[in-house]
Amino acid sequence: MSATNAAVAEPYDYDVIKKFAVMAVVWAVVGMFVGVYIASQLAWPVLNFDSPYITFGRFRPVHTGAVIFGFGGSALFATSYYVVQRTCQTRLFAPGLATFTFWGWQAVIVLAALSYVMGYSQGKEYAEMEWPIDLLILFVWVAYMAVFIGTLMRRKQAHIYVANWFYLSFILATAILHTFNNIAIPVGLFTLKSYSIFSGAQDAMVQWWYGHNAVGFFLTAAFLGMMYYFVPKHAGRPVYSYRLSIVHFWALSFMYMWVGTHHLHWTALPDWASTLGATFSIMLLLPSWGGMINGIMTLSGAWDKLRTDPIMRFMIVALSFYGMSTFEGPLMSLKDVNALSHYTDWTVGHVHSGALGWVAMISFGSLYHMIPRLWKTEMYSVRLINTHFWLATIGVLLYITAMWISGISQGLMWRAFDDFGNLQYSFVESVAAMHPFYVMRAIGGMFFLAGMCLMAYNVYRTIRQGVLAAQATAAPAAAAA
Amino acid sequence: MADHTTGPSPASGAQTTGHVWDDDLQEFNNPLPAWWTYGFYVTILFALVYWVWYPSWPVGAGFMTGIGKVTYVNAQGEEESWHWNTRAKLLAETQEASALQKPYFDRIASLPYEQVTQDPELNSFVVSAGKALFSENCAACHQAGGQGKVGFFPNLTDDDWLYGGSFERIHASIAQGRRGYMPPYGEAMSAAQLDELAHYVVSLSGAAQVDAAKAAKGKELFNSHAGACYYCHGDDGKGRQDIGSANLTDQVWLWANVPAAEGDAAKLDAVRKVIASGLDKGVMPAWQGRLSAEQIRLLTLYVHELGGGK
Repeated sequence: MSATNAAVAEPYDYDVIKKFAVMAVVWAVVGMFVGVYIASQLAWPVLNFDSPYITFGRFRPVHTGAVIFGFGGSALFATSYYVVQRTCQTRLFAPGLATFTFWGWQAVIVLAALSYVMGYSQGKEYAEMEWPIDLLILFVWVAYMAVFIGTLMRRKQAHIYVANWFYLSFILATAILHTFNNIAIPVGLFTLKSYSIFSGAQDAMVQWWYGHNAVGFFLTAAFLGMMYYFVPKHAGRPVYSYRLSIVHFWALSFMYMWVGTHHLHWTALPDWASTLGATFSIMLLLPSWGGMINGIMTLSGAWDKLRTDPIMRFMIVALSFYGMSTFEGPLMSLKDVNALSHYTDWTVGHVHSGALGWVAMISFGSLYHMIPRLWKTEMYSVRLINTHFWLATIGVLLYITAMWISGISQGLMWRAFDDFGNLQYSFVESVAAMHPFYVMRAIGGMFFLAGMCLMAYNVYRTIRQGVLAAQATAAPAAAAA
Repeated sequence: MADHTTGPSPASGAQTTGHVWDDDLQEFNNPLPAWWTYGFYVTILFALVYWVWYPSWPVGAGFMTGIGKVTYVNAQGEEESWHWNTRAKLLAETQEASALQKPYFDRIASLPYEQVTQDPELNSFVVSAGKALFSENCAACHQAGGQGKVGFFPNLTDDDWLYGGSFERIHASIAQGRRGYMPPYGEAMSAAQLDELAHYVVSLSGAAQVDAAKAAKGKELFNSHAGACYYCHGDDGKGRQDIGSANLTDQVWLWANVPAAEGDAAKLDAVRKVIASGLDKGVMPAWQGRLSAEQIRLLTLYVHELGGGK
């Protein structure tokens, strides 16, 4: 009978959220480890060990898949199920379907990683999964959409909280992007190989329409949803401006869809299409910053929390990196800046200032807030959170500084001519010049991974302590019954 | 979070919207920050200017071409002006570089090789342009400084030339490519004979202490119809540059890594292996058709200057 009592006492479905929260931490450790490994391969090529299975080409999508879809995706499933229930004051619609999204999504990450290591890839960045995995993603996503929208529809509040708009736009946009970019004809029913129905410049354009909106809706809008719940909730302060949240939400959603072509400047893509990509990127700057303003200004009147609370610090530093990289992005999308930055490590640094600085840090803050509440306990160690914060911050700074220097040097070396009109450097000389920065980047990654391992340990101890406490209170109750 | 807030915003005095979620989640109704609004307008203005300058919106079957222009010289030597576009920009920028290079290339083409090397200004050009051409086309095999790799690719910085180090021979090597070949003797010779041959070959350069008796037998074999090594390497073992056979009397080794082998036995073994298995991998591709005549001429000068051109 005690099980029924517990269910009654618990107003929300936390089971699937707990599963996703744990897997977010697990995938973060795995994905960041692979990231550090491939960064080290670039610095010390001997780490390839002459094995095709672990080369950069195959491990790179394993890394991006594990951190974006494994860590980021699981963190989004967990927080969106948490936020939508608490702000709608209702339980999940179709909890069985929610459990299916958990197992389905984990299967996607594992199958994708295995297929990459075996050498299967569509060759589309962030959409490397071949067609059977794409179909599984589609089923999981439709189920996710049904659970989320169903929960919204049975809400007990008249108004839908802002965080849910962002989550919903992310779910809708991802469904559209994933479907269209992955339309492909399999070579046979029993083979993983397929060919995209688009070809040439059109294929590239569809891919980057997907690719940049994966950044826009998966890695930005969705994490803004996370931010809109966890920052005001953790600070105990109202969101700074409701009006700003509406304006920047619609501006952001409208502008993002246009900007993908800025990945294809100076290519076979028509020049007019790349111009539009550049200009919409510029117009996206302030709509992006709307989220940063709303997050940081929410803290006005509670700035002292930054001194005492490392979780708050994670969130505010995340917003600062968000502001920095959403300024850097439009800058890099200008044709002339892009002529220097394209194909260089600057792009890699930019992605990581967003991915590590913004996405990972806001997720850390949110998970540190949510996990003790899920297991009805306190975080095992605040000091470890603080150490994690500093390791992560130093790691990101080392990483992006290394990539700025190496990226800009590459760009300058590739285009350097001497007085005779001859190229000043060969490509391989630019590769040799990158070596110290590749070492520095790998070390930055090691810092970030070390912090992540501390978090995994801290979360493990927290959950254990929560489970033990629950057993301790349940035992006398059961004995009494 | 116990401090449930109901007071006005400390930033502006604005009130909340009155909605409360999850016990204490609220929103102030602050106005949009003015700098945000005006900043947004400025980015829109920037976009408008960009659209006017560059090709932008598609209209019907075409597109707005923009007022930006790119001018370059076409293949007929006439100046052409186009609306801003990536391809014209590439042409214009490569022309800028080739306009600087052209007078030097023209002078080098009009002068005999020897005269080019005596002109300090042309020499500096050869070093600068040659380094770029060499790095992009040759360094993958011959290495960045041209030092080659024993066992794989010839060293271009010494004065030992398989096919000759004159301008004409170097030009022919680059333009037409080379194919080094030596038949394998592993099955034609007994183990003892291979050993004797190795002793003799090593003795030619004095690379190692060898058994004089074995070397003498090897010498006989070398110059006999059975071994027939002398056909290609000559009676004296000095090789023939017209067919690219190696000089066995000097300290330069391409295939057998004698310098790196430690000890007399290892050095002999390195040579024995090459005799037994022969060579069929010494391929240098022909660059005619891939590089222009003037580029090959320039590389000839550059390689000649790397070390011991004759």
